[in-house]
Amino acid sequence: MSAPRRNLPFRFIGKRILQAVLTILGIAIINFFLLQLAPGDAAEALAGEAGTADAGYLANLRREFGLDRPLWEQLATFLMRIATFNLGYSFRYGETISTLILSRLPATLLLMATSIVIALVIGILFGVTAARYFNRLPDRLISLVALLFYATPPFWIGLMMILVFSVWLGWAPTGGMRDITAPDGGIAGVFDIARHLALPALTQAFFYLAIYTRLVRAGMLEVLSLDYIRVARAKGISEQRVAYRHALRNAVLPLVTVVGTNIGGFLGGAVLTETVFSWPGIGRLMFDAMLQRDLNLLLSILVLSSVFVVIANLAVDLIYPVINPTVELR
Amino acid sequence: MSAPLLSIADLKVRIRGNPQARLLRGVSLSIDRGETLAVVGESGCGKSLTSLAVMGLLPDGLEKSGGVIRFDGADLPVTDNEAMRKVRGRRIGMVFQEPMAALNPVFSIGDQVAEVIHEHEAVSHAAAMARVVDLLTQVQLPEPARIIHEYPHRLSGGQRQRVVIAMALACRPDLLIADEPTTALDVTVQAQIMRLLHDLQDDMGIAILLITHNLGLVAQMADRVAVMYAGRKVEEATTRMLFAAPQHPYTRGLLAATPRPGRRRPGEPPLTEIPGVVPAITEMPSGCRFRPRCMLASDICALEDPPFVDGVACHRAVSRELVP
Amino acid sequence: MRSISFILRHWTTALGILLLAAVILMALTAHLVFPGDPYDMVGAPLTWPGESADTLLGTDSLGRDMAAGLFYGARVSLLVGFASALVAAIVGVLVGAFAGYYGGWTDDVLMRITELFQTTPQFMLALAVVAVLGPSVTVIILSLSAVSWPAVARLVRGEFMVMRERAFVHGCVVAGMSDLRIIFAQILPNVLPVIIVMSTILVATAILMESALSFLGFGDPNVLTWGTMIGMGRGQLRDAWYIIAIPGVALLLTALALNLVGEGLNDALNPRLKQRKG
Ligand SMILES: Nc1ncnc2c1ncn2[C@@H]1O[C@H](COP(=O)(O)OP(=O)(O)O)[C@@H](O)[C@H]1O
Ligand SMILES: [Mg+2]
Repeated sequence: MSAPRRNLPFRFIGKRILQAVLTILGIAIINFFLLQLAPGDAAEALAGEAGTADAGYLANLRREFGLDRPLWEQLATFLMRIATFNLGYSFRYGETISTLILSRLPATLLLMATSIVIALVIGILFGVTAARYFNRLPDRLISLVALLFYATPPFWIGLMMILVFSVWLGWAPTGGMRDITAPDGGIAGVFDIARHLALPALTQAFFYLAIYTRLVRAGMLEVLSLDYIRVARAKGISEQRVAYRHALRNAVLPLVTVVGTNIGGFLGGAVLTETVFSWPGIGRLMFDAMLQRDLNLLLSILVLSSVFVVIANLAVDLIYPVINPTVELR
Repeated sequence: MSAPLLSIADLKVRIRGNPQARLLRGVSLSIDRGETLAVVGESGCGKSLTSLAVMGLLPDGLEKSGGVIRFDGADLPVTDNEAMRKVRGRRIGMVFQEPMAALNPVFSIGDQVAEVIHEHEAVSHAAAMARVVDLLTQVQLPEPARIIHEYPHRLSGGQRQRVVIAMALACRPDLLIADEPTTALDVTVQAQIMRLLHDLQDDMGIAILLITHNLGLVAQMADRVAVMYAGRKVEEATTRMLFAAPQHPYTRGLLAATPRPGRRRPGEPPLTEIPGVVPAITEMPSGCRFRPRCMLASDICALEDPPFVDGVACHRAVSRELVP
Repeated sequence: MRSISFILRHWTTALGILLLAAVILMALTAHLVFPGDPYDMVGAPLTWPGESADTLLGTDSLGRDMAAGLFYGARVSLLVGFASALVAAIVGVLVGAFAGYYGGWTDDVLMRITELFQTTPQFMLALAVVAVLGPSVTVIILSLSAVSWPAVARLVRGEFMVMRERAFVHGCVVAGMSDLRIIFAQILPNVLPVIIVMSTILVATAILMESALSFLGFGDPNVLTWGTMIGMGRGQLRDAWYIIAIPGVALLLTALALNLVGEGLNDALNPRLKQRKG
């Protein structure tokens, strides 16, 4: 069967993009006021440990943020900095903050994409199986596993996986993204990264796997009782095809939106996973910024991560009507 | 005379693991090639379960506990899902009551109809699609070449039912089971769909098992009629005989409740409903199950469920010979 | 009383209640069972569980009693969990109730704001709040409620939108009852069961997030928590993994208990909404 295809009306796209821009503006304003809450001198708070040593840096920050200006001017300056992607300079890293964040982003995206795929694939398999064996042993086992994954702190799962798979079994490295000795490119290089990726990606996936399993199970139970499933059976097609083609397609559509809303969760979780596994992404960068009390870097990461979530949700909003023919566009 | 196309003998269905909950209590029906048999009765008397049992599609939690179903001279392996897949859609097509919910919302019409063809025949996608267009033309859908690309939510109820009929007929089955195919549609569309089924039957020579509680449709369509009540057949006759001389008090009640166009003269009593409702499976009366609602009931009716003799299952039936 | 026997019929819920009661008991009796400071050294460092009769669950790398940590940690976990769930529930109910009841631009504005908080990655926002205001139990409670209230607001808004179309609400309007009374005295009691169920899950989530904060070292330095214990045990992963395993299991069981209780409450309080389940 061919994939459904549809053209999106410009009005719809325009409206969604405008909404996204307004959301980003709102997030920037929240961050600005968060900064205002910091006790003591704003410049010193912004600079954290890096600033106390360097008077020139403090003066620089005051000027850049317009800290001696009235509040609304400070807000305007703050918004301009974000809009122009001019987030300042990090002394510790010797780079502008935007380059710093952008250079760490790919590692986080790789980790996030891998764990989303793992969570979706296993969650769908589990959910469909549980629904097809409703109230029988496989269903109960899967539901129990899902509940356990849902209730376990992810960073602890990460540590336990390091203990079992790295320390005891020696199957995977304890952290990092690549071995110093490994070749830079080629199949060997890719394999090296994959070896490092496996444990953190699984760790990140468990919690969402639990959510997706429950959603798919509930969706499948609902869809499997619908009339068109009986009609499909009356055509003589196999149970396998009824489940994975007719029912699943309808049961997983809402999942697309859920994954979109989980992107923020994955980014937040990355702070923990990347810290546990020394994975060089923005989560680890945020942890380091916390340690050095580098508020400027910290808030920059927060704003840019939120912007990323907004863009991801915008993408989901635009993709959803294309894959779900029954959505009426407003 | 040759063997019937489909014969159901003493079909019993119950709730799994509960011998008390007898939903079908020995239903027997038969249909010849090209014939139309109507099965009538109020809601809940087992019409749908009978047809689902034939398709091997009984709902979870129900099981066939007895009886033999023969189709085209061989036993129908209704409990063997893999074997039944070769029958469903290919030898027996089925049309359900709810056209609005009968099509999968995420697949195009063309894909859904073509799926039956692909399942049962080795044809190319292009050939299948060409056949889908022919089928949609046959069921009189406008612009079939456009409709194959549409999604179900863009079609009206009547149009969707035509698609379901096209799907059921795609592999030229010998038997079409139509379970209340027009109940959910409004009156003018009902008439169109019934005419369509009638015409298709003339063209293709298929047999139709028509399930309905609309006796008006029965009069137009059916060769023979079986009346069901509370899980069993209580009367069977040719359509003409049934309308002319109904024997079972239940049948007479049904007929009295049916408007017959052109038959109602001034002064004729208005339509009468049968008093009461079909009892729930847990509250079935002893003896004849129609007894609490029957005006003719006597002592013997409470003692024994009447056997099916000479086309009727009733202790108090008026013999056809005596009807003027 | 009927709902209690209902709850007990489900053994998973009973298990949840039992586990939760055990954790609460640990929190309440911590100072009686372990009168000293849980940060004090009581035995030889890195004593394995069962090795010494004085420290049944062993000691960490500084000779602190694991069992004492477990008991005192329960206090912080429960305090932070319940307090932040309470704050989040109050804020969420207020926002959701007004948005759902009034609709129109009130709804638009409130929901846009809710959306902002939902878009920002939750854990990152909590971290930022702690970074700005400094790590203390109060700040942590605030930061966790700041990231949890939007979910409550959305849920409550949906319920209110349905409820305000009900006949009894129209009746109140016609009778001239004030909006505030309709919202809090008429509709809210009907929505309460859903809010209670959601709050149980919020407590679990907050406990897990608090443990994550203190695991990273951004918890209140004046109290000992399960997350702190795990964080400090990281260095001994190879040779004394029990330091990490024990508080982790405590966290897992607590969160599990709250989820089980939540499911049980859902069945008991919302029979209408009861899902097909085993
Ligand atoms: N899945 C099921 N479980 C239990 N009882 C059922 C089920 N499906 C149907 N029944 C019962 O079987 C009887 C016959 O149903 P059905 O064949 O659908 O009636 P109808 O003649 O209206 O098509 C009804 O009393 C109905 O309640
Ligand atoms: Mg029926």
